Amino acid sequence: MTAAAVTGPGSGPGPGSGPGAGPGTGPADGNPKTSPGRSVARPGLGWTLPAVLFFGLFAIVPLVLVAVLSFTSWSGLGSPEFAGLDNWTALFHDPVMIKSLWLSVLLTGLGVLVQTPLSILLGVWAAGPQRNRAVLSAVFFVPLLLSATAVSVLWRALLDPNFGVPAQARWLFGDGNLLGSRTGAIGVLVLVSAWQFTPLHALIYQGATRAIPEVLYQAAAIDGAGTVRQFFHITLPQLRNSIITSVILMVVGGLTTFDTVLILTQGGPGSDTTITAYYMYQKAFKGFDFGAGAAIALLLVVVATVVSLAVVRISGYDKMAGTKDGL
Amino acid sequence: MKTSAGMSRVRFSKAVASGAALVLGLTLTACGSGGDSAGGAGEFHVLVYGDAANKVEKQIVAEFNKTSKVKAVLDTVPGADYQQKLQTVINTPQAPDVFFNWGGGSIQPFVKADLLLPIDDLIAKSPGTGPEGLDGLRSNFLPSVYDTAKVDGKAYGIPMRGTQPVLLFHNRKVLADAGVAEPPKTWDELLGAVKKLKADGVTPIALGGGDRWPTLMWFEYLYDRIAGPGLLQKALSGDKSVWESADSRKALSMLKELVDTGAFGTNYDSVKFTDGGSAALLASGKAGFELMGSWEYSTQQDASPDFAKNDLGYSSFPTVTGGKGDPAAVVGNTNNFYSVLKRTEHADDIAKFLKLMYSDDFVEAQLAIGNLPTTTNTGKFLDSAENAEYLKYQFDLVDKAPSFQLSWDQAYVQTNATPLLQAVQQFFNGQFDADGFIKAMQALTTV
Repeated sequence: MTAAAVTGPGSGPGPGSGPGAGPGTGPADGNPKTSPGRSVARPGLGWTLPAVLFFGLFAIVPLVLVAVLSFTSWSGLGSPEFAGLDNWTALFHDPVMIKSLWLSVLLTGLGVLVQTPLSILLGVWAAGPQRNRAVLSAVFFVPLLLSATAVSVLWRALLDPNFGVPAQARWLFGDGNLLGSRTGAIGVLVLVSAWQFTPLHALIYQGATRAIPEVLYQAAAIDGAGTVRQFFHITLPQLRNSIITSVILMVVGGLTTFDTVLILTQGGPGSDTTITAYYMYQKAFKGFDFGAGAAIALLLVVVATVVSLAVVRISGYDKMAGTKDGL
Repeated sequence: MKTSAGMSRVRFSKAVASGAALVLGLTLTACGSGGDSAGGAGEFHVLVYGDAANKVEKQIVAEFNKTSKVKAVLDTVPGADYQQKLQTVINTPQAPDVFFNWGGGSIQPFVKADLLLPIDDLIAKSPGTGPEGLDGLRSNFLPSVYDTAKVDGKAYGIPMRGTQPVLLFHNRKVLADAGVAEPPKTWDELLGAVKKLKADGVTPIALGGGDRWPTLMWFEYLYDRIAGPGLLQKALSGDKSVWESADSRKALSMLKELVDTGAFGTNYDSVKFTDGGSAALLASGKAGFELMGSWEYSTQQDASPDFAKNDLGYSSFPTVTGGKGDPAAVVGNTNNFYSVLKRTEHADDIAKFLKLMYSDDFVEAQLAIGNLPTTTNTGKFLDSAENAEYLKYQFDLVDKAPSFQLSWDQAYVQTNATPLLQAVQQFFNGQFDADGFIKAMQALTTV
């Protein structure tokens, strides 16, 4: 942000103190618009009020309330009763809960493994100057425009064992019992999420690839590096920051996935795809056990935060240098 | 596995916001006690599940308001959120005076919290059969249906829509091609038909296992035929040993046998009824039978009108030789009900409103939108109704049924729906053996 941009808010809303407040009301030093002292002044704390209020009301307050709720027993009828650590001890002895955490991590991990290579390749390709690029890129981005619900309904129809694709390709799908088996259901969830979210990450990589200085490629070409070598020795290292950004988005998004599971598998077969976020919904809104639901929600917040922080720390994202060093 | 921060944040804050809404609702409860009860002077509120059937509810409310000084106000809550919304408002000053429910487990927690007015108390205000008498609120409904809104022997609901018994539907053409002359009357005939259909290369029975409740229907009927309705009643009142009884084990082994012979094929858990999958199997001739609620008929009329007209057959569930249950008993959704809150100030006017639930106008209006009411006067209107034959068949079935078992997932308190449906699915797909299933059923909470 430039100094000029700060001037407006920094000068405060008081009468006659803003730029262009009226003829003859400016300071008398003859330099009314850009007094240096003012232009570097920090904006008053008051200006953060809307954002703080909004964040507090819709993020902090609910979070605290959920924390309180997790120590109560409440079915929605009457008032919550304080239940001490009951919800929490039940949670850690609940086999479905433990399985759901493991499933969330598994689905997230598979998602990152599948989506990252695909989106890098697509993104790098889409950053090029090819003639058909614009048209094909537009097509690739269509899934991103659809709601997760529509996507899930669409895939359910496509994967119907009797009338969908599996019925026409028995050699590949066998009896087509994709959503009825554990492996099949997990595979479908990974596939559908990849189909839906790869475009978003490709978009990130497309932008990042465009930002790589052309001189690097020119130098490499002079040194005799082909396309493949250029990709591995210039493009990939230059995309490092973007890869970490994208992976963190995938991890946080993956851990809180909900709608795809709700529509495609409803946590089934049995509880084989009951991931933590869905389990929370089941407990709170299907079973009206809001205390247990709140405890799961809080646990999920903690796990997602810890995992994201770990990715940031391990990747060195927090103290990362620019990729343009030495240019 | 996916996504942008934006998306994940949206999802997350949704969850948190709902939590907050709930907590806020609760503070309101605390502050609002002692205030004026819902409705205020001169009106009472009727809360119903919002869907196409609201047409009739609106009509009845309008009719009531024409003559009544105290007005009824209809509030609708769209679809899936209904039970959740109800649970949140019922103990607040915003609570309705009268509300729609499914009987059984859906009102049990409210009865335990002492929120509902027994229908008998309402009748006691003005007993008799005259124009002012309220005895009709007990005597004008089919008993098997009326009984499913009883908690601890007391009635808390007045039937207010249509009944939906579960029937065994079949594709006449497929059965004929496989050499099955008529729908099976006994369990052994059913097993015989399954064998013939399998030999003919079709899936004997279509099952939308992905939805899980269609699988549950097989348990409901077989348990009812073998053990009678008493088993579930005992289980619901807290006697968990019934799940280990010889009858229970017999039902489970028969179900297991049916699954193992390939009656449902192998991919039933990937098929749903709700997206049209299982109904299409039956209509397209890829399956011979489907056990489904009476709504199968209208589903087929929408999706495959020719099939519904020519080849869709129906029969009641086969009898089981040596079973204790009455072969005429049915299971399914008995009806929807209106229940009345104890704290209402307009009980007398509400009683008059509820009397409209067996009026001729009500029955005709329900029949016109395809619902089959369960009042004793329904029979005389069936001849002139559309699909008269089908409606009569159902009405006779329900009328003659010695008992009408409410679907287990509705008979149990809502908390149990997920574990119950999971156990049912896991027994069918082999993750649970009989002992595993019994244990899961014993873990369900009863009040």
